[in-house]
Amino acid sequence: MADYKADEILDARGLSCPMPILKTKKIMKDMKSGQILEIQGTDPGTKNDLPAYASRSGDEYLGMEQRDGYISFYIKKK
Amino acid sequence: MSDNALVGKFKQGYDSLFEQNWPLWVGAVLIAFLAVLAAAVGRPWGVVGGLRVWGDWIWHAVGLAPRPMNHLFLSDGAILTWGLLAGAFGSALLSRQVAWTMAPAWELGKGLVGGILLGIGSGMAGGCNVGGFYTALAAGSISGFAMLIGLIAGAVVGLKYLLWEIEHVTIKSPAPKEKSGGADWSKSQPWLGVLFFLGLIGAAYALSFQAYTTTGLLLIIAAGIGLVIQRCRFCFVRAFRDPFMTGESVATKAVTVSTLLCLLGIMILKWTGALPEQSYVYHHWIGGLVGGAIFGFGMLLTGGCGSGSVWRAGEGQVKLIIAVLAFALSNSLFRAHVWTPAVAKAWGDPFFLPQLAGYFWALVITCVVLIAWWALTAWNEETDKLTMY
Repeated sequence: MADYKADEILDARGLSCPMPILKTKKIMKDMKSGQILEIQGTDPGTKNDLPAYASRSGDEYLGMEQRDGYISFYIKKK
Repeated sequence: MSDNALVGKFKQGYDSLFEQNWPLWVGAVLIAFLAVLAAAVGRPWGVVGGLRVWGDWIWHAVGLAPRPMNHLFLSDGAILTWGLLAGAFGSALLSRQVAWTMAPAWELGKGLVGGILLGIGSGMAGGCNVGGFYTALAAGSISGFAMLIGLIAGAVVGLKYLLWEIEHVTIKSPAPKEKSGGADWSKSQPWLGVLFFLGLIGAAYALSFQAYTTTGLLLIIAAGIGLVIQRCRFCFVRAFRDPFMTGESVATKAVTVSTLLCLLGIMILKWTGALPEQSYVYHHWIGGLVGGAIFGFGMLLTGGCGSGSVWRAGEGQVKLIIAVLAFALSNSLFRAHVWTPAVAKAWGDPFFLPQLAGYFWALVITCVVLIAWWALTAWNEETDKLTMY
């Protein structure tokens, strides 16, 4: 139940598959190793898509937190 | 002490069934089983037939079309699509996943444009990813093979567009909504889901009393497919898109396995005479190819195919609700005025693959094609040679 300190925040609320993952990939490209990205989303598919993306890209999927009306996902650049 | 443990165990079981997603392979097998069941009952699984009936009736309601021949609820095509929507909605209720999800205007626009393209593409191909590809291929129609190729081509172009859009268009998320009483609604969803499914079973029962037993059966089968698809978040679009976008092949594998199983079932039904040989062999390969490409592009815009748009609409995703409506209306118009039966016939006769060299070789050829697709995406998952991003 930890709150991660995000270096960058991606607001993907209201966006549906595949936009959250495409945007995540784009932002992650410009981030430095060890930095944490917070993705705020409403698409239920992201719960599966993001961990799958992380395992392929080698980045670390930290977890998710239910917020008021959306979910915050945390991923750390490798 | 034992009471709490029992409740705890029940909650655990419920969570694993309805909180987490089911594995794709479970969906692959169950969907194929239900699709073959529907065919055995007399009407192979399709989605667009029902959407077109919806479209026909809406155009009629605003005075722009004559009274449709097909009943809005009781015609075979319509009941399948109603069932799919109902099953997905009920399943979403049970998993507390029903939520009116608004999207930015740009995304809603993609839902509209994509939906129109889905309507046109499926009009040409004789169906969507289900009726034009999945069921058509399983039924031995050459148009199914053509649509497979068209869908891949269209999806690649669609993905290229999305990659361009990510770089050049800034899509602003809508302002967060004030959630008042949201938690209460979420808690009652599973109970509503149970009530909903009981009502569905009751409707099927009532239909059998009115001598609409087959209709009632099709409703339940389609609702079963809707539930399975929603629980698995089974996505045909992923099968065509993921190899090029993320390199993943799991969705493609699920679709090929499901198609193979459905193929086996429907071929057995046709070979034994239980299903007429021309069933679902109605369309020329040109329509499958070109329609498939248009449909493939459209589904990347909407983020849902035929079945996918319907089940996501059932969850309350506004972009997909718009897409389904645009899909239904455009397909109805397109088939009534552009790709009429006369126009479709002008291209030539449909082709039933077993006509070539019998059922055995038709099965072999189809299996080879599907396994080749599966193998190509598995190879790409390791080498990323086709991954575009």
